[in-house]
Amino acid sequence: MKNFIGSRSLPDMIYHAPESIEKLFLLLSDAARPFRIVAGCTDFIPAVRTGRWSFDEEVTIIDLKQIKALNYIEHQGGMVHIGACTRLTQILESPEIQEKAPVLARAVTTMGSWQVRNTATIGGNICMSSPAGDTIPALLVLDARVTLAGPDGEEEMLLKEFLTGPGQNTMEDNQVMTRISFPAMEKNETACFKKIGNRTAVIISIVSTAVRITLEHGVCRNVKIAMGSVAPTPIRINRAEAFLEGKRLDQEVIHRCGALVSEEISPITDLRASGDYRRDVAATLVKRAIAECMEEKE
Amino acid sequence: MKIPLNLTINGDTVELTVDANETLLHVLRNSASLQSVHRSCEEGECGACTVLVNNEPVNSCLVLAVSVQGASVMTAEGLVRNNEPHPIMKAFTDELGIQCGFCTPGMLMTAYALINRCEGSELTDEFIRKSLQGNLCRCTGYVNIVKAVKKAKQNKDAGYWW
Ligand SMILES: Cc1cc2nc3c(=O)[nH]c(=O)nc-3n(C[C@H](O)[C@H](O)[C@H](O)COP(=O)(O)OP(=O)(O)OC[C@H]3O[C@@H](n4cnc5c(N)ncnc54)[C@H](O)[C@@H]3O)c2cc1C
Ligand code: FES
Ligand code: FES
Repeated sequence: MKNFIGSRSLPDMIYHAPESIEKLFLLLSDAARPFRIVAGCTDFIPAVRTGRWSFDEEVTIIDLKQIKALNYIEHQGGMVHIGACTRLTQILESPEIQEKAPVLARAVTTMGSWQVRNTATIGGNICMSSPAGDTIPALLVLDARVTLAGPDGEEEMLLKEFLTGPGQNTMEDNQVMTRISFPAMEKNETACFKKIGNRTAVIISIVSTAVRITLEHGVCRNVKIAMGSVAPTPIRINRAEAFLEGKRLDQEVIHRCGALVSEEISPITDLRASGDYRRDVAATLVKRAIAECMEEKE
Repeated sequence: MKIPLNLTINGDTVELTVDANETLLHVLRNSASLQSVHRSCEEGECGACTVLVNNEPVNSCLVLAVSVQGASVMTAEGLVRNNEPHPIMKAFTDELGIQCGFCTPGMLMTAYALINRCEGSELTDEFIRKSLQGNLCRCTGYVNIVKAVKKAKQNKDAGYWW
């Protein structure tokens, strides 16, 4: 199936699509190695086509899409829970997410195209653990936790602790991500997601940011600022957060916060942008995001 | 690994045998001989391979065929009825939303799904453009495509649709 230079054919595959978590765990205990878990395949297939991932001979594919128990959005006792295999379109269109975590819906609108969002899953985006993964900054300001499960049991941890480096996380070979959870946002909170890429649509972020603020009589409380593509993983910008805490927003304060962001990060230069450009744009993006939060509450 | 695959393609149920590593794009073009499903980037970027799976547009190059067992698939061939072009096709030719035609089948499928979803409500230019972000066109500059989608929506609102 080779067509042009750079597009590689897919390896031979043994394909499994378990319908329940129990069947999945059985497979994880004795699937032929090497194996690969897939959900929407929107990262998997391009990674193989471009040669970023390669397999010597045959690869066993364990497809999670048929497991209905991994596909849901629910709001219960102040917490929002999302099954790892929930597709991005479902998240975007969910009234619960629009109301309880609009910042996540905003992030998802900027991801890929309609076609990609119809197949891509939130779990896939997190498990790729790309510094540019767009759901991650939004989930970081939501203080999200992720649940990993495997034949040996289940563990829940902060998303921040799950991510360990570019494309790296704490997941073991025989684990899958089952759930993403976070507290629902309160009425007096406001949040915003912004990203910059080489064009405005269907593009990987050069820099992205999510900002969440509680405005109490015009004073900032519980400030959370996260950024993507400025460090080995998406991160929270602690000093800039602390700076805004207890302050009244005006142009001067927003400007100084942006400057602090630039100081706090040390982004790398890569194919998409230089470190200097990222540092500049990061300040601008955070300033715009804060200004938007402010406008929304006025 | 060979796997039996049952699909409903453009309304007909078909039984195929496919390799586990074949994409839906490959199966539709090669086993089902549906040449409207165009192959280009094979990485989800261009949208030329867009088809509807259970009424939703997806990039068929990013779908393993075996993963959509039992699904209903629609391609641009499925728009034609009794050799009559579909009203959305008429709109694309009327408004010159087509030049070389390479992007057209994919564009039609996304636009068709979009119009079917917007029952009653109005379609703004901005929303059309946002919905078609995943379909690249190197010829038209998109202006006439947006016009064509609006024209198609008018066709539908006037009862000229199937
Ligand atoms: C054209 C295009 C545009 C894109 N635009 C964006 C964008 O704007 N922003 C962005 O962030 N991303 C973008 N992406 C990347 C991709 O769509 C997302 O990262 C998507 O969310 C991946 O989900 P998936 O289900 O398709 O993952 P898959 O490709 O199925 O899986 C990716 C990896 O994650 C692992 N995995 C998936 N789910 C689980 C699970 N539940 N448990 C354990 N491991 C798991 C798999 O083993 C695999 O290695 C784009 C991709 C394409 C093709
Ligand atoms: S061939 Fe599928 S998106 Fe380009
Ligand atoms: S008409 Fe030629 S690419 Fe769109």
